[in-house]
Amino acid sequence: MIYLDNAATSPVDPEVIEVVQESMRKDFANSGTVYALGLDAKQRIEDAENRIRESLSIPPDYKIIFTSGGSESNNLFIKGYGFPDRKMAFLGLEHPSVVQTLESFREFGNEPVSLLALQEDGRLDLSAVPRLKKEKVRLLCLSHVNNELGSVNDPVQILPALAEQSPQTRLFLDGVQAVGKLKLSPEMWQGLAGYSVSGHKINGPKGIGLLVVEGKLDLKPQIHGGQQQHRLRSGTLPVPLIVGLALAIQRAVEKTDETIKNNRKLFHHLVKGLQSLAGKIPGLDLKFNSSLSEDLTHQSPSIVNFRFAPVEGEVMLHHLEEKGIYVGLGSACSAHSKEPSKILTGIGLTPEEARCSLRISFGPQNTLADVEAFIEAFGVAYRQLYSTFNRKTAHK
Amino acid sequence: MNERRTILVRYDEIGLKGKNRDQFINRLVKNIQMQMKDLEGLQFKVPHGRIFIHCPEELSVECTSRLQKIPGVASASVGVTREPKFDALAAVGVEWIEPLLQPGKTLKFCVRTNRADKTYPHKSPDIDREVGSRILRQLHSQGLEVSIKDADYILEIEIGQDETVVFNNRASGLRGLPVGSSGDILGLISGGIDSPVALYRMMKRGCRAHGIFFDNRPFMGRGGYDKVVKLSKLLNGYQKKSKLYVVPFEDIQVAIRDHCRPAHRVVLYRRMMYRIAQSVARQKGYLALATGESVGQVASQTLENLNAVSQVVNLSVFRPLIGMNKQEIINEAKELGTYDISIEPHPDCCSVFMPPRPATRAKIADLEVDETKYPWEALMRDAMTKMETVNVDTLTV
Repeated sequence: MIYLDNAATSPVDPEVIEVVQESMRKDFANSGTVYALGLDAKQRIEDAENRIRESLSIPPDYKIIFTSGGSESNNLFIKGYGFPDRKMAFLGLEHPSVVQTLESFREFGNEPVSLLALQEDGRLDLSAVPRLKKEKVRLLCLSHVNNELGSVNDPVQILPALAEQSPQTRLFLDGVQAVGKLKLSPEMWQGLAGYSVSGHKINGPKGIGLLVVEGKLDLKPQIHGGQQQHRLRSGTLPVPLIVGLALAIQRAVEKTDETIKNNRKLFHHLVKGLQSLAGKIPGLDLKFNSSLSEDLTHQSPSIVNFRFAPVEGEVMLHHLEEKGIYVGLGSACSAHSKEPSKILTGIGLTPEEARCSLRISFGPQNTLADVEAFIEAFGVAYRQLYSTFNRKTAHK
Repeated sequence: MNERRTILVRYDEIGLKGKNRDQFINRLVKNIQMQMKDLEGLQFKVPHGRIFIHCPEELSVECTSRLQKIPGVASASVGVTREPKFDALAAVGVEWIEPLLQPGKTLKFCVRTNRADKTYPHKSPDIDREVGSRILRQLHSQGLEVSIKDADYILEIEIGQDETVVFNNRASGLRGLPVGSSGDILGLISGGIDSPVALYRMMKRGCRAHGIFFDNRPFMGRGGYDKVVKLSKLLNGYQKKSKLYVVPFEDIQVAIRDHCRPAHRVVLYRRMMYRIAQSVARQKGYLALATGESVGQVASQTLENLNAVSQVVNLSVFRPLIGMNKQEIINEAKELGTYDISIEPHPDCCSVFMPPRPATRAKIADLEVDETKYPWEALMRDAMTKMETVNVDTLTV
């Protein structure tokens, strides 16, 4: 099996499996109880939190809230901060858990401001910042790394621009696709309001993620109950998942330089390979939806999105699946919808172009041989499918 | 009290089957026994016109709910067996009715007897009166009254040759005929809403309905197959022992798409599905095909197109939904439990195979010309060689 859909989810690191298993056996006590067993569980969580804080260079004045994953973190921050009438803006290219959460505010008459007209290569163009001031936007929500394109919104560039030109606008980043794929600059914590992380995108367990939130922000809780986690997110804490998440984050961050190096190699190899395929296969009109920029503040080398009309991406996906090669169509959460990806149409693709696209996303297990096998299988499948999809020949 | 219960199972149409009646009843009893083989402590008796199941009290609810899903069962009542003596029968009535009486309120009741054993020395109205008056005598002071027309509570007595049963409930069944009594058929099943309902209707007419699914995994992925497997499993719950035939269809669809007139594609696909289904049915000894088609529902289901697909087979094609409206089919699918599976988001045909404007009135001569443009016999043989046969009883989903 060749797995090239690591932005959808990733295989769990065996070391993580081990610590989760061990913790499941040992740390069953409720960390909210006052006897020694419970205090031990609480200690495990605090240790994990400290490791995460250290790995991600999170300053002490930021709270760490454990959630069920990226979607919950995004919901908790946006609903908790925005309710009911804080003006919020987005690019329109974010994950559905950001976009739809913002759109849910319409029921309070709070229409989010879309900056889609000001995107470039899937990134926020900084010329949008004055508009934020003009529209009195209090929160700007962006993906740190776009889940379908790999485009980067660099907080180190955006935060100073906001501070200078629209100081009342705070920045929230969905960092689900960024951790372990890019080096997070400690500088970003100077001014960032909130940041989401997910365990299962970085070889950690599913069902666990976190929200990092600036300590002085007063978020409205979304899950009420036993008042755990600064009263922000009630519910007994899953110690084994938290321990697993901490290890996954630690490993991902430790290996970030190596990962970037490997992903860059794979990215180049894939782009070159596809380009040379386009030269060899008549009719293969291959275009990249992702930017080919090597600047890590513009594009993450972990994701390559490209199109090859007239062959449909989903059909190509199933043909590759038959060869044991797994690739992505886009956000797995919206892959079931028949509508073409809003991210791809958002950057200007026609619905047909969007439907004829695939996303390749790399993980630490991927090698050049995987990329080569993919290119070969893609070429074979394309040749096989072209005549069926090419209306000119099929309608004769 | 851990008393044994008697479940009285009624059937209706089987009663009309003349000399074959015993065969039908044996089939129904076998089907019931098969559906209940994991329940312990059941005894079956088959006197004239009825089936009795004696079971431990705690299994009576489970037995009844299973009976309600067995084609051929008209209704079932859970009761107790008693000596056919007025005092004994009345005692049951008193025991059941007394807890329902509330101070200051009246409860109207009546007794209804069915005397299957005509040698019993009292007539039904006399039994009603004798048992009723005994119950009334004991409970009148607590608010019990008799009302034949307007009863809140009906105590029923069935007097048979071997056994007399008292009961106060009736759970309606699916009616129809026991599966297997009519023979085996092959139904074209997709992941959609209609075909499972069509197969279910055939089961209720005594057919064991096997399924044939035309799979296009290289284009559509495994989602459609998984859906059909779930649907087949659910349908098999009503019949058991059914098979699912999975035919790889991508090469045929690609050939039609690449070589034939776009407007004819859908009808051409369906002609191939019919041909393959007929061939499988003949191999397996199944006596007919069944489909979920309904006149005019989609382009391929106009009278002309239905005729064009029917021409390629000479086996009977049953279309039990032919005169139903979509909403009626949806309602039945919801009742059957297939609807929620059918609407899971997996398309049943890849858009690349769909023509922009399908012909609503394809001419057979034109279709035949199209069929000279691709080697359909060879492709059909190849698809059948690659066909997978799934035993639905042992499927795990």
